[in-house]
Amino acid sequence: MQTDSSAVPPNHDHRKQEPEITLRPFDLSDVGAFMTWASDPRVTRFQRRGPCTSEEDARRYLADHVLPHPWYRAICVDGRPVGSINAKPGQGEERFKASIAYRLAYQHWGRGIATAALRAAVSSLLEEWPHLERLEAIAEVENPASQRVLEKAGFLREGLLRKYVMLHGKSRDVVMYSLLATGPNSDDI
Amino acid sequence: MAEEREITLRRFDLSDLDDYMVWASDDRVTAFCRWDSYTDKEDLRRYMRETVLPHPWFRAICLGGRPIGALSVELGVGCDCCKGELGYVLATAHWGRGYATAAVKMAVRSVFQEVEGLERVEALVDVDNKGSQRVLEKAGFVREGVLRKSMVSKGRTRDLVMFSFISTDASVD
Repeated sequence: MQTDSSAVPPNHDHRKQEPEITLRPFDLSDVGAFMTWASDPRVTRFQRRGPCTSEEDARRYLADHVLPHPWYRAICVDGRPVGSINAKPGQGEERFKASIAYRLAYQHWGRGIATAALRAAVSSLLEEWPHLERLEAIAEVENPASQRVLEKAGFLREGLLRKYVMLHGKSRDVVMYSLLATGPNSDDI
Repeated sequence: MAEEREITLRRFDLSDLDDYMVWASDDRVTAFCRWDSYTDKEDLRRYMRETVLPHPWFRAICLGGRPIGALSVELGVGCDCCKGELGYVLATAHWGRGYATAAVKMAVRSVFQEVEGLERVEALVDVDNKGSQRVLEKAGFVREGVLRKSMVSKGRTRDLVMFSFISTDASVD
């Protein structure tokens, strides 16, 4: 049966609609861009660290924490950092798992950037750390946007963990997500 | 409950070494543990001296005053200071009588009273360890979900069931 190519429906793969992002290590010269999201309480609301109060504060954090980190990347759109994503591997016998966290400048929310960054990070991590079996991430119950990002990036929701972490002086309920190197994950279902 | 009246919790002493060896050397007990059965009493004595005795929350589960098992709560630090992880083992001769359930209920009551800021006690149980899952359910823990490939034990990655008891949960009696 011949198929008329003009009748072929457009490609509905949602991944094609996600923006092009790149990941790269940070540099101290990124401090200005870093401040954009690191000083914004709307972004730091779900993070352990409160907002950066000065460029000096941000520079010190970059130098002491970001640059020496085992895996910390700038999320770039058109080559410019608009957020960050990091992976913390387990210690010793827990090296087979790593936890991921990310944050994005407020003006870039709602465009699929975090999802694209997470996909790219997962891809890189599984390649760079062949011993990795489990990637996990938590999102606060009160942060449905982050839960959607994780689901769209292929993470499977495992459960609601009550009062699992302390954040800004209060214990929080979180949702635990994971992605396995060998699957099955939420985009396999 | 009858089991609760017979079970007590107390700190360990080095003189408990022989009793400790009974369950610590038993492969049926350690099957789902991260650690392997002890074969050398001196190794166990060192473990008791270095880890068990100085631990902030490590208790002997006693029947008629004699240790038949062990229970510990690992308290979190920093951002994890609101939670503690419960672990316990019981000698096989005493399985199936509600002793572990009684010990867990007592431990949960005590640890929330004693540790300031503690709001969550959690326990992670191998998906295949149905007996331990029943202990936690009977002790009033809530099953929150399965954390896939969360632990390496005996050379394999294991799925674990996460249970929790929050300080405001009503205890089951």
